[in-house]
Amino acid sequence: MNIDYSQEAPLIAGRLKLAQIEELIAKPMDTRPDRKYYIALSISVTALLIGAVSLGLTFYYGIGLWGNNQPVGWAFEIVNFVFWVGIGHAGTLISAILFLLRQKWRTGIARFAEAMTIFAVMCAGIFPAIHTGRPWLDGYLLPYPNQHGLWVNFTSPLLWDVFAVTTYFTVSLVFWYVGLIPDFGSLRDRTTSKIKKTIYSIFSLGWRHSNRHWSHYEKAYMLLAGFATPLVLSVHTIVSFDFAVSIIPGWHTTIFPPYFVAGAIFSGFAMVVTVLIFVRKIFDLQNIITIDHLEKMNKVILLTGMMVGYAYSMEFFIAWYSGVQAESFLFLTRAFGPYAWAYWIMISCNVLIPQLFWFRKIRRSVPLMLIIVIFVNVGMWFERFVITVTSLNRDFLPSSWAYFIPTLYDFGLLIGSFGLFFTLVILFTKSLPVVSISEVKAVADGAQPAHHGGAHHE
Amino acid sequence: MSQTDFHYQKKELPASLTKFALILLSIGVVLSLIAFFVDRERALFGYLVTYMMIVSIAIGSLFMVALEYIAGADWSTPIRRIPEFFSKLLPFLFILVIPLLIFNHDLFHWAHEEAVAEDKILQGKAPYLNITFFVIRTFVFLGLWTLFYWMMIKNSRKQDTTKDQNLTTKNIRLSAIFIPVFAISITFTAIDFMMSLEPHWFSTIYGVYFFSGLVVAALAAITLAVIMLKERGYFSPWMNDDHLFSLGALIFAFVNFWAYIAFSQYLLIWYADLPEESFWYLTRWNGSWAYISILLIIVQFLVPYFALLTQPSKKNPKRLKFISVWLLLAHFVDLFWLIMPNMNSMKDGYTFSWIDLVFPIAGVGFIILIFIMSYKKDNLLPIGDPKLKRGMDFHL
Amino acid sequence: MNNDKNLYCIAATFNTPDEIINAAKKVSGAGYTHFDVNTPYPVHGMDDAMKLKPSKLGFVTLVMGLAGASIALLFMYWNISVDYPLVIGGKPYFALPAFIPITFELTVLLATVSTVAAMIMLFFQLPDNKHPLHDTQYMKSVSNDKYGITIEAIDDKFNETEVENFLKKLNPLNIEYIYFPPVETYPIFQPKFLLLLAGIALVVSGGTYFSLNKLMFMTPFTFMMDQDKLIPQKGSELFADGFGMRKPVAGTVARGFIPYPYKGQVNPTEVLSNPFLPTKENISLGKEKYDIYCSPCHGYFADGDSRLNGQFPNPPTLHSQRARDFSDGMLYHIMTNGQNVMPSYESQISRDERWAIVNYIRVLQRAKNASDADLTEMNKEAGNNVAN
Repeated sequence: MNIDYSQEAPLIAGRLKLAQIEELIAKPMDTRPDRKYYIALSISVTALLIGAVSLGLTFYYGIGLWGNNQPVGWAFEIVNFVFWVGIGHAGTLISAILFLLRQKWRTGIARFAEAMTIFAVMCAGIFPAIHTGRPWLDGYLLPYPNQHGLWVNFTSPLLWDVFAVTTYFTVSLVFWYVGLIPDFGSLRDRTTSKIKKTIYSIFSLGWRHSNRHWSHYEKAYMLLAGFATPLVLSVHTIVSFDFAVSIIPGWHTTIFPPYFVAGAIFSGFAMVVTVLIFVRKIFDLQNIITIDHLEKMNKVILLTGMMVGYAYSMEFFIAWYSGVQAESFLFLTRAFGPYAWAYWIMISCNVLIPQLFWFRKIRRSVPLMLIIVIFVNVGMWFERFVITVTSLNRDFLPSSWAYFIPTLYDFGLLIGSFGLFFTLVILFTKSLPVVSISEVKAVADGAQPAHHGGAHHE
Repeated sequence: MSQTDFHYQKKELPASLTKFALILLSIGVVLSLIAFFVDRERALFGYLVTYMMIVSIAIGSLFMVALEYIAGADWSTPIRRIPEFFSKLLPFLFILVIPLLIFNHDLFHWAHEEAVAEDKILQGKAPYLNITFFVIRTFVFLGLWTLFYWMMIKNSRKQDTTKDQNLTTKNIRLSAIFIPVFAISITFTAIDFMMSLEPHWFSTIYGVYFFSGLVVAALAAITLAVIMLKERGYFSPWMNDDHLFSLGALIFAFVNFWAYIAFSQYLLIWYADLPEESFWYLTRWNGSWAYISILLIIVQFLVPYFALLTQPSKKNPKRLKFISVWLLLAHFVDLFWLIMPNMNSMKDGYTFSWIDLVFPIAGVGFIILIFIMSYKKDNLLPIGDPKLKRGMDFHL
Repeated sequence: MNNDKNLYCIAATFNTPDEIINAAKKVSGAGYTHFDVNTPYPVHGMDDAMKLKPSKLGFVTLVMGLAGASIALLFMYWNISVDYPLVIGGKPYFALPAFIPITFELTVLLATVSTVAAMIMLFFQLPDNKHPLHDTQYMKSVSNDKYGITIEAIDDKFNETEVENFLKKLNPLNIEYIYFPPVETYPIFQPKFLLLLAGIALVVSGGTYFSLNKLMFMTPFTFMMDQDKLIPQKGSELFADGFGMRKPVAGTVARGFIPYPYKGQVNPTEVLSNPFLPTKENISLGKEKYDIYCSPCHGYFADGDSRLNGQFPNPPTLHSQRARDFSDGMLYHIMTNGQNVMPSYESQISRDERWAIVNYIRVLQRAKNASDADLTEMNKEAGNNVAN
């Protein structure tokens, strides 16, 4: 392997011209969907409908349909919530943190990952809302006093979640839309259809690619990234507080915040890679979303995978070290108790299998990486399952220990959330540019002046 | 600036700096020895704080070197030698750690056999917390650090003459392996030398907490050295404001990260309020420790946060220099706050003693001296590094 | 030149980023102020070339971020430390660490949303789909892969021929004259439009009424008050006999319950004797309970003057000789067992309270049936004042 480190690797392969880039990215929107598209859409809509039926039945009969029991009061729906919020972390991470770190390879994948963030947070938001049992009363989660003049409990992490997830959703959406404005401008000027032009004009807000605007725009993007970065961390931190502020063994441990964040990045990146592999293939974007980008994503997966591995082992070590009986018992139960199968699925999918990414060949092989990232997705779902269910199923009172068995409705809702997510993703690929046109143009060969004369002030 | 008009001429450090360092070191050592005979326990705790400070800077610097390699960063290549120089402290830790190992009985409650005999919890921890295993761990970690230091720095130095790109590849691989080793070793170093001072207490985030402070300290030391050298013309044509900005931004990020980790740990323990955890914070709220606890939030987070908030301030050399010194001090306060309240005589509040000041004096002298030693042997720029030119041309 | 139209600007397009940087430098160097560069993406170094000042957007973010933080903190403080203080988890009313997450979220929310809103509306003056640059060939090319510069007609130094020659010297791809589009007007009070408004209003208000007043009370939307539970005075479907709870097994004795031995007897030969002395406390307890339970029928002074206005047969006065001759135990028995139409008060009034009521009845009887001898006795006790 001989790499020339003295040159920056080109971000876009194939020496594409600006017009070609735009052509390539806008193509899915200009052509009619083919048969494969409809097949994919019908599969995901079917999954969505399964979820809708389960949800309808849950509404009608109540959440007694689920497998939740005493003492496992939090099960599939909370697992799904944490899972989807985690998936939703990759997008903003890529668009904000990698932006601040000046990792230019993010340009090819940022838009797509941001869209996935928004869809994943939508999926996530459903679960706590229906878990309240009477979702039509969820308005009381807002800080608004009830008829007794009593306010919401601001010291409850569940309420922090309401604020964190809504803020995260809003900011992600704003971030995404701000990135889309120049692209809407470009699409508006290239389309020939009158209806499309009207739609694009409305959403482009009359963007003129003016440098007097770009100047503020770049500043705003920087500020948004600066805020979105701690926001990403805070959201999964607050999700981890839902568990960690309690005194339940296995939940109350101080490493939870960074551990959850690392896990969120891990699962989010895995999901982004999973979807990108198909998108770049189907829409011929191999030159814009190159194998180098995927390799970098895989490196991040390897790194964050080791971080969660570190957290697992720290928890285990400190559970023993602490000398607290309940803690040590719980961790032994996790590894060798009734849910040992889930625990070892989690360990092997999250810690062991990603170690294959140490090999450059595997990092750069699309089929192998697809298999690995799917394992990671599965493993991260099981991580949340292990955390939520195993800590509850054997609580402080042995007489109330119970094994949790999910019902069909639990699975229906899980499938439905995947259906919703992929339906939105599939619709998105055909209706909006999956790659940021203006950002990719800006990093193309020869897109920037050769010498831009000294310090460049932003 | 192109490769052709790049002429590196090594410029020696002034002799006065060596003199300054030697004076500091000798004053510090003499006073330390006196302190040791005046109040052995206090002197040892004070020595431990300074030892952990040196560990932070040394291993944190090697971490920054490794980070550059695995991230493929180019902006930091012109200044990479600075963390390399600081990591030269690593082999010396073998000597520095010896007093701590010899006088473990004065430091560690769990080393008292009679205390363990009547304490169920300590008996449970004995397989981990015993002197033999402790010494083995210490030397294994120091050995690993020195090994990685030696291999990575050797490659980097060899590249100055050979300009062999494969050496960069080698170092990237070494760095990738180093990162997990680093994570595990600093975690257990933190548990061994600091958390186990209060052997009943535990916190899973402790290693991450130490990491967050350590990176801030290492970055501050690197930035301080870079700016001091740059001000005196050592770096003049090879560095611009954007390099400083990147350093400033990294410091800013890790200051925030420290605050995040510290707050997470505090919130979770405060919220759950379990007696086996909260007593640790309550000790740090006893008497005058409360002021130091509040001071820590101010010096380690609030002041640097607002000082580096805006973009221009991150590349202002004067401000960065001030904040670097400030953050080194802050990390010292942090370690002090972690370590000193475990002293039996200090549980009820902090009482000032001149002994607390002598070890940092010796430490500063020692660090500067090692820096000078490694500077003499090496080029200030990694002149054979293929990324050097990219790094010098770096613009945001 | 077409003089019927109003000239907006003269535009020139270029092929490479270097050329446009050069052009921007020349144009700003020549002293033009109303000019703009349009590029498909931000070109590095353009702000310097155009001599633009750094964006002031950061101030909006700073101010709104601080506003978000203080609003959040004050709001939470006022809510759960002042307006409705509530102890939660043994934490103080103002539990600062627990307020930090929401404070942080609101800071971010307010700062980002207002930054973007300010950027679009104040700094960009968008949305503006009527701008003269839209739908021009120039816009189409800079939107794709060309780099353009425009010098506007309102510039003080603007002179058509001069500007055109100036731009030509920069070797552009082409030069374009851009005019203001003809102004279009839309009459607002068209019947169609008004009808649409009315339609929307109807649908919205109807939908709101339906969902808030009807839909929310249909089957899947249940509320706490609608749950399956026992409701007093109503039959239950839980058991076949319509009761919601099972009766205790015969002979079951409740905790703390002492059975009354004379239950059901009209005139027991012997009854219990009063265990309480008529102390001041005991009598005032008796008064309190008497006023609650007995006075509605017997009257406040036991005269049998019911307040129930004939809805219930009036009881006889308790000042009759017969009643006064009842033993304490008999009064207690009547309260416990009931008599004639008077029901048993065993379940409402506790044993001790019943005895207290007996004591109070004795006080009433004594007070209403005082003899002269009592008066002398009283005067003796009260001293000279009363004797006079």
